[in-house]
Parts: sequence; structure tokens; C-alpha cells
Amino acid sequence: MSDLSEKSPEAEETTEATEMTGTTASPENAPPIPAIEVTNLSRWFTGVHAVNDISFTVERGQVIGFVGANGAGKTTTMRILATLDYPSGGTARIAGYDVVQYPGEVRKRIGWMPDHYGTYSNMTVLEYLDFFARALGYKGQERVERIADVMEFTDLGSLADRLIDKLSKGMGQRLCLARALIHDPEVLILDEPAAGLDPKARVELKHLIRILAEEGKTVFISSHILSELDEMCDSLLFINQGKIIHHGTSESLRKGSSETSLIEVQVAHSPERLQEWAALAPNVTFKDSTKNGGRIEVDSVDDEVIATVLRRMIKDDLAVTDFHLQERRLEDAFIEILGEIEASGTPIVS
Amino acid sequence: MSKPSTSPADTISESMTDFPARLSPMLVKELRQGMRTSLFAVAFILLQTFMVLCFVANIAEPGSQDANGFFWFFIITTLMVVQPLRGFNALSSEYQLNTMDLIQLTKLSGWRITLGKWTALNAQTLLFITGVLPYLVMRYFFGNVDLILDLVALLLLGLGSALASAITIGFSVFRNFLLRGILAVGSAIGLITLFFGVKEDIFRNGIDSAEAATLVLLAICSLYGCFFFLAFGASRIAYQSENLSTVKRLAALTMCGLAFCLFLLPLDIGEMIIVATAIILTFAVVDAVTEALPNYARVLIPFRKNIVTRSCALFFAPGWISGLGFFCLAAAVWLAGFGLLEHFEGDGSSGIDDWVGIISGPNALIFPLVIIQLFFHKQTSSQFTFGIYAFTQVCLLFISMLVLVMANAIRHYEDLIYSVIPLPSVLLFASADGEADAPLFFYIALATSAVCLLIPRIRSHAHYRDFFKHLK
Repeated sequence: MSDLSEKSPEAEETTEATEMTGTTASPENAPPIPAIEVTNLSRWFTGVHAVNDISFTVERGQVIGFVGANGAGKTTTMRILATLDYPSGGTARIAGYDVVQYPGEVRKRIGWMPDHYGTYSNMTVLEYLDFFARALGYKGQERVERIADVMEFTDLGSLADRLIDKLSKGMGQRLCLARALIHDPEVLILDEPAAGLDPKARVELKHLIRILAEEGKTVFISSHILSELDEMCDSLLFINQGKIIHHGTSESLRKGSSETSLIEVQVAHSPERLQEWAALAPNVTFKDSTKNGGRIEVDSVDDEVIATVLRRMIKDDLAVTDFHLQERRLEDAFIEILGEIEASGTPIVS
Repeated sequence: MSKPSTSPADTISESMTDFPARLSPMLVKELRQGMRTSLFAVAFILLQTFMVLCFVANIAEPGSQDANGFFWFFIITTLMVVQPLRGFNALSSEYQLNTMDLIQLTKLSGWRITLGKWTALNAQTLLFITGVLPYLVMRYFFGNVDLILDLVALLLLGLGSALASAITIGFSVFRNFLLRGILAVGSAIGLITLFFGVKEDIFRNGIDSAEAATLVLLAICSLYGCFFFLAFGASRIAYQSENLSTVKRLAALTMCGLAFCLFLLPLDIGEMIIVATAIILTFAVVDAVTEALPNYARVLIPFRKNIVTRSCALFFAPGWISGLGFFCLAAAVWLAGFGLLEHFEGDGSSGIDDWVGIISGPNALIFPLVIIQLFFHKQTSSQFTFGIYAFTQVCLLFISMLVLVMANAIRHYEDLIYSVIPLPSVLLFASADGEADAPLFFYIALATSAVCLLIPRIRSHAHYRDFFKHLK
């Protein structure tokens, strides 16, 4: 009835390293094993290709945002990584362990937080955590200490005797995070953790995730709200219709493939002068007026060129009160990428 | 003087003293939840109230049949209806609450989950029984009743409640309320039929050695029933790389072996043994042929060792493909049972009629698989497969009864009707009716067996290829 015996992590790590590099390398010489490694992963259901041949790698200690519309394949990918679903093709590894071959080892290393956390009726916060601590195999004082640690981290101490079904959504998400952290996993897979939370609860959750990232945990987090991910993620992974369409930092995404810079300028006294000045200045095009100035486009993304434009503006006696580079919003960038895909018919992965 | 400050761990440690650490996590969780439910509290209070009323009635009129009837009615209702029904949502609620995934990520296996839920429910049943015990003793002193008989009846009710709870928990794995409901009602009808059968057979004339052996058979069936239904639920919630099938199938064969051992006793219970093994094998085969295909890359690893283990995979690996292999093995055991019956108690009078029945019985079990393979080939969900299987069986039962009525009405064309509609269940009824004594029916039964085994093989060629690929 029990699971098949699995290799010890140390032995397995060596084997996995050998498998990955194809050579017999000693553990200290082996390249660091990525926290998450997905290779040509596919998952199809009857008539639906939920995940279509995706590949990506997440290094240890990184915080990765997983972005996509509803039905894009985010949850399916995350469920496969959490050993809750099976790939139809390809492989997925967590800390070097294949999710299909070594589900037990993978489960020891991941903390899973679903988009809709389950609540039990007639059960208190403490009993809920106690149940999962027991189910994870903790006994005696160790169990008590693990519960105390996660309750302290998620600030649930004052709610210990509160029935779970009486908790607010924000408190519930903190409880769910506490449950996911009981066994101190090295990789956290969080599916839409901030969905439905009020602003205060969102800030609290973001704060907790930031602390976890600082502790060196790898966090793989999905969300619809790009600005939210931008503040806490090292890089973003965009998925659309089961395919990865972008993998990179938010800066690179904002910059996109554009070769011009859009700058908003505010001037004192006479905003019309900005338009007149732009008409005569080299490398500059006036785009549109604003209440106290306007937006100009510089035909370069080079910082030096932009600085030259600003210097010239001041030298030409324009009363500049504000001058700032307008970055693309991540949502706009995402939509732009989708547009490019539709136009070219091929995915763009950077 | 101020109190010394305590650490959060100390506070938690003080609040977590209700259950010892050695108890199963699922048992602890279910007990904590279950004993707080209003249903448990209300049922307990009502039972106590009715017990008091019945006791008062017993004192007022000692030996009253009405008071006695009410007394047992409330106990039976609580133990055989209320308690098993509390398990009706046991596993499906974990899916509805979105907690099954969370539990599966812990170290709890499917088996430990269902066993924990069942044990918790039985622990609460034990509380009900304990609460009733004082009234039994008082009835003995003031109500003129036989205490020993009452205690035996209470014990049997407790065992019956355990079996009924195992059934509801096992079937609670299906998220479809209607399917669960139909299965629960079907099981209740089966249990009631069994109860009255046993009552008629055993308790009417007292218990002699043959009846005692029949009780042993019943105990074997009940024991297997509890195990089977819990394992049934466990294997359907288990991760696809968890193998519960091998144990389930081996348990069925072991129970049949134990039942066959009773042939060695000089008692005339051969037919009862065949009935008991038929029940055990039927459950095991239905479960085996409706199992979803697992993750072969993982579950077949222990079967790859050598030629013997690879051969065992054909019968004992999870999934319906090896389930068909197990069906062949079960059919062989079923035939062996008849061989033993013939050897120990037979008079050598078995005719074609009997053989048609012997072959058509197993055929009837796998015939719905042919329907599933022909028309619902791409559906892989275990719930869907089981639902269609159950639905097909019910339809086949109705068709067979109609055919039987038709054949009886048009007496001269019986043979023609039976051979034109060669459904295994039709042939089974015809055999039971003594109308299948022509060699044609024997050949039809054999041909049906071949069709039942070949169609899944042809229609699921890719799955078979995958199975053998991972077995190498």
C-alpha cells in the first residue's frame, strides 16, 4: 500500500546531476540543480491542449511570476509541478527530482497554495495546522515548534482558536500559506494567492512573500495582476494558450522591442513653447499636449541621447519643471506581445 | 506577582493535548470535526431520550413487544442509517472543499485517508453503543429481557454499521450525488436482502455446525466487504502512481482460498461457499475492470524485476488492462470452486445448462466493458467508467428480464430468442430457468467470452502498447 521506496536525496542528487550533464561529475563539480526545470512539457485533455510544449528553468532563490489569462495553462502547469497532475509529454523537475518518477521527493520540497484554499467546518486554525503537521509526519515537540513557527510568521497567533470557516479571505490566505510552510519547503508554488484579497491583505501577503524570497526560497507565483508581480518578482513568465510567450525581467518587458523613448515634460508659464521647441529640435518629435506641457518622442533609447535632449531643453530656456521617461505598463506590454504573436503567428520567447 | 511569560510553542503544546500523537492524523481530524457536528449531538441526545422513554415503557409493562420494538428501532436507525449516512460525503466533500489536493501532498496515502475516516465514524458508533449499554442492563433487571441475546444483537448491529459505513465511505469517492445515491440505495437493498436471507437460513432453526460454518462465510464476506469498500475509495482518490490494486486483488483471492478451505469440513455448505466466493470475486472484478489507467512509468517499476513479476503484472498491476487479466484469473478460481463443489458434493449430473451459467456469470461482469470500449473509448475518468458500467448493468438487467418474459410468452421460439439476443445476462437467466441445454448456447457463451476479451484489446491497442512498453 505504501509508496515505493525512493532514493536518498544525496544519492539521487548525484544521479540526477549525472543524468542532466551526461557525464559522471562529482557533486561539488556538478552544476547547481535548478529549483524548477520544465522541458517540453505538454498536457492535453479530451479536445483541449492545456499546456503545449513549454520549457523554462527557474534558478534557486528566484521569485518568478507566472502570468496569463484564464485558461492559458497556468494552473495546469502549476498542478503538474506540484505532482497533482500528470504531463502528457515532456518532463518537469523540482530540485532535480522528476515529478512523475519521484513524487514523494518532490512533495517534500514544495509548498503548494491553490487559488481556492479549502476550509473545513468545525475546525479551528490551530487544529487545521496540527492536522497537516501530523499528516506531514511531524511528531511531539517538533510538531509543536513547526506549528508555532508558521503561526508566528503568518501572524496567526491571535486566531489560533478561531473556527476556520469564520475567517476572512485574507486571514484564510495567511492560514493557507502557513500550511504550505509547515514542512519548510524550498520551492513555493502559489496559484493566484492574492485573488479576491482586499488591498490591506494584499500588502500583507506581498510582504510575507518578500520575506520568504529573502530567506532564499524559490517562489513560483501566478497572478492576473501584473503590477503586483512586478514588485516582487525577479522575472516574469508569460503563458498564452498553453505556450510560453515571454520569459524575462519586467524591465525588458517594459522596454520591449521599441527603439524610441517617450518622455513627458512639464513646463511653467507657456506649454505651447514646448511644441515650438520640439519642432526645431533634432531627434525629437512632439506627440501630444498635456495640461502643463506635453509628451515628446526621442528617436533613441540611449540614456546619453536622452540626457542631451534634456540639457538642450534647459539651454534653450524652456522652464522645465518635470521631465520623466514614460515606461510601458506591463499590461500594455503583455497585450502588445499578444498582438505581435497574432501578427507573426509565432511565439516570442526572450 | 506577574505570571511567567510562556512561549507560543508552550501555549500550543498546552492546547494540543486532546489526542495522542500516535493516532492517525485523519482519525484525529475526523473526530475533532465529527464530534462537533450538530448531527452527532442531536442523534446522541435523541437516542438517549428514546432509550429513557422505552425503558420507562418496559418497566410499566415488562415484556411488552411494542416497547421492545421501539427500543430496537431507534438503535437500528441510529447505527444502520444515521451513522453510515454520515459517511455519504466523506471523500466527495474533500473534493468539494478543495482540500483533497492538500491532503494528497502530505504523507497520507489513499488507504490511510479512507481508513481514518472509517475508524472515526466507528469510534463515534462505539460511543452510541456505549451510551445504550446501561439501558440494556436495566432492561435485564426491570424489563424481563434476555441480556445475552440483546448484547449479541447489539454487537451484530455494530458490525453491520461498520460494513454499511465502509460502503458509504467507499462510494463517497464519486462526486456525482446521483451515482452515490443509487449505489447507496443499491447497497442498502443488498444488505437487507442478505440480512433476511441469513435470518431465514440461520436463526429460524437455531445454530448447528452447518449454520456456524455459514456464519464464518458471512464473517469472511463482511470482513472482505469492509476492506474492499475502503480500498475501493482509497484507490480512486490515490495518486496515479500509488498501487492499491495488487493488495485488493490478492485479498480477494485469499478470501476465496479461505472460503474453499471450508470444503474440507464434512458439512453440506458447498453452494454457500460458491455464493460467498461469487460475491467476493464479483466485487473484485467489477473494481478491477473499472479502474482508471495509472501512471505506468511509476507503478510498473516493482513488476519489472524478472519474468515472474512481469507475469504477475498482467493480473495484479493497477488499471483495467491488468483488470482483464485478473478477470481471467478470477474466472479460473470460480471454475475451480465448481470443480471442488463437484468433487466434494457433486453427483456428476452437471449438464450443458450448468456450464452455460458458469461461463455466462463471469461474462456478464465484463460485458459492460465492451460497451464502454466501443462507445466511450476516450473517456478515462474512473468515475465516468464506473458510472457507465453501473448504468449498463442496470439496462442489461432490464433487457434480460424483458427477453425472459418474451421467451416465456412465446414458448416455441425460446431457443431462437435466446440465440438472437446472446447477452451474457440473458443466457444466465436462461440457464437458471433450465432453458439453455442446447450445445448452441454453450458455444455462444464461449464466443461471448472471446468477444468480451478481444474488443477491449483491439480498441485500446495504444494503452496495451504503453503497458507492455513500461513493463519491459
